Amino acid sequence: MKTWMAALLLTIAPVLAGAAQAQPLRIEAALDREVVQPLLDAFARQNPDIEVHFHDRSTREVDRRVAAGPPPDVVISSAMPWQLARVNQGYARRLDTPETRNWPQWAKWRDAVFGFTFEPIVMAYRLDLARHMLPPTTHADLHDLLDTHPALLRGRVTTYSPSVSGIGYTLFQQDARYSSRFWDLVAAMGAADVALEDETRAMLEGLTQGRYWLGYNLLGSYAMVWAQDHPEVMVQVPKDYALVLMRMAFVHRDAPHPRAAIRFMEFLLSRAGQRVLAGQTPLFSIRPDVVGPYTAQRLRDQVGDHLYPIPLDASLLAFIDPKRRAAFMDRWRREINILEDGD
Amino acid sequence: MIEVTGSLKSRLALWLLVTVSGLGALLLLEAYFGARNAAQRAFDSQLEAAGLTIAEGIQWQGGQPVVKIPAAALSILATHHQERVFYAVLDARGETITADLDFSVPAAWQDAAAQRPVWRDARFLGADWRLHGRELESAGWQTQDPVQIWVGHTLSGRRALAHELFERSVSRFLAMVLLAGVLMLLAMRAALTPMRRLRHLLRQRTAEDMRPLDARVPEELRELAETLDTLFARQRDSHDALLRFTADASHQLKTPLAGLQHTSELALEERSPEAWHEALTMIHRRAADTSRLASQLLSLARLRHLTGHHETQCVELATLVRDTLLESAASLAARDHDLGLAPLPEAPTTIRGEPWALRELLGNLIDNALRYTPAGTTITVRVKRDAESVELVVEDDGPGVPTAWLGRLHQPFERGGRQDTEGSGLGLAIVHSIALRHAAELSLEAGDQGGLRVRLRFPFAATGTTS
Repeated sequence: MKTWMAALLLTIAPVLAGAAQAQPLRIEAALDREVVQPLLDAFARQNPDIEVHFHDRSTREVDRRVAAGPPPDVVISSAMPWQLARVNQGYARRLDTPETRNWPQWAKWRDAVFGFTFEPIVMAYRLDLARHMLPPTTHADLHDLLDTHPALLRGRVTTYSPSVSGIGYTLFQQDARYSSRFWDLVAAMGAADVALEDETRAMLEGLTQGRYWLGYNLLGSYAMVWAQDHPEVMVQVPKDYALVLMRMAFVHRDAPHPRAAIRFMEFLLSRAGQRVLAGQTPLFSIRPDVVGPYTAQRLRDQVGDHLYPIPLDASLLAFIDPKRRAAFMDRWRREINILEDGD
Repeated sequence: MIEVTGSLKSRLALWLLVTVSGLGALLLLEAYFGARNAAQRAFDSQLEAAGLTIAEGIQWQGGQPVVKIPAAALSILATHHQERVFYAVLDARGETITADLDFSVPAAWQDAAAQRPVWRDARFLGADWRLHGRELESAGWQTQDPVQIWVGHTLSGRRALAHELFERSVSRFLAMVLLAGVLMLLAMRAALTPMRRLRHLLRQRTAEDMRPLDARVPEELRELAETLDTLFARQRDSHDALLRFTADASHQLKTPLAGLQHTSELALEERSPEAWHEALTMIHRRAADTSRLASQLLSLARLRHLTGHHETQCVELATLVRDTLLESAASLAARDHDLGLAPLPEAPTTIRGEPWALRELLGNLIDNALRYTPAGTTITVRVKRDAESVELVVEDDGPGVPTAWLGRLHQPFERGGRQDTEGSGLGLAIVHSIALRHAAELSLEAGDQGGLRVRLRFPFAATGTTS
């Protein structure tokens, strides 16, 4: 995420008389501050006695800070396997509150870590692309485009770097799980000299600037907001299958302010908190009883039932097994260069 | 007196409770360990499945193990209880090839797993774990080293399953106890029905009804019913005897009274004072006889029906016999007979008894001998001693009694076929009753000189013992 914000410390303490006794609450998050700001504001309004210190960092940095240095209160990250591994290592506190109990079973693990957003993974393209060819709507379309227009697309395709981005790596692992033809796609992208970026924002900026025509595996939450302000960028939710990523939050086992942390989690999962997510952020609320432009329910209505949330369970741990990761990266490097000579 | 010592129902219920709680404790203990073992087995096999799944993902490439941990293995490991999971793949030297948690499997466990698959309990990273290790004979083109696969998970699923199984056993057991209790109550009611029927039957009886019971009873109650029947029979006998005795007594008293009436009627028709005197003399004698008869009847009735506790004391039989004989010898009736006392034994002749009854007994025996024998008859009284008994013998050399009569002489109003005497026929009956009271053995037999010999064997009572 935004590296220039990494060290930023912003206090969202309402200037109230009782602020003298305010409890601090340190949140380490891989989540853009400006995206999540409405949620933090709403929390601050409801809990004037809690002073939130929100640190926006990269997924790797967030993960590192779970085990090293002073423990944070709440940890939020979209790097699902790493979050789950931390829970498996015992870094998360099990919660037993009304909201955590009622949270859907598929979106929590061990009552310790909770997936609280529902972000589709999308393809994005520039309108320039649409002038030359039919824009892709499925993974197979994308592969065909890369195959049939190699000259036009060379250097104009972008996606995540699996070696740098935890999100990108997770998405590719999941893609590879669903279809072995994924590797053909990787080979085709390699042939098109794909540009590997660290984050969605960089891909979107490249699209707007015209450097890229086509982006693969972008976070839909960011892309959809971007497309509203940048008409030259179009967002396509794949029609064969669309992965769905969940941001996962847990309260650190050694949280210095556990009560404030639990109140934050309660708010995050509550109807009020999720309504803010659904209405004022593009993060998509999971709760079926929340109405707004960004809800899992509405997304399902719009794109049909081919949404495939990345399962939030122990199988995620396999993705970050060092040997498996090494094998995956070996294959990635092999596949991405495999057509180099032939082209 | 009837003393109520608890109820059968509560006693049976108590036994049931004791048995059930004793057996129940054992059963529950068994259920507890059974549930734990069942849960352990169920989850251990999941560990094994996960280990085997991981084994599928191991290959050798260029002398290096390539491990591709299958996601399914971790789902199996986590189970639907979402356990924390541990896996480690170790090479032949025990070095970790890959693992998800920072835990090194002890060397001893690795050695054990080299022999056969093992299961171990461990505690690390703030939780209790169950681990499973197995060795995999893997072979590649360059390498043929075995690798060990260790998998493990936390215990919440096992605990939940064991708890659920145990809870199920407990509820089944409680239901069984409840059912058994209800059945027991019903069975007790059914089992006690014959008792209730018997009670009802007895309660319905009138005081005079002494017929045998007409009831269906189970084996356990047969003895009680038979005892009751015997009791009824004895009551009936004694009731009959009383009736017979009363009838006989009335009859016996009626004859002399009729004689008195007849004599006085005859005398009233006479005019001479001599006749009156003669009649009065007869009346006087008959009245005396009748009075004696009445007193004998009274004492017999008293002896027969005076049941229950009676005071006994130690009596020296020889002394009592000597004193009584001296009194009798002085009486008018003894003048015509030769009444003698054989030499008394030196040894003590102590028996337990009532002195008045023993004197009555001896008096009746001597009186009988005097009345039923002609003048000049010799009557001998003896007291003999042996180890366990004291014997009193009264023998005469009179006409004797035909053997056929001997067995009946002790019944009231039995005179041994003799109607010629003034005897009432009650003497030996009284003797018999007194003998019964003293647990003495009465035997009537023909004497050596042809007369009657009456023998009474009393149990010897060692002096110094008191009742």
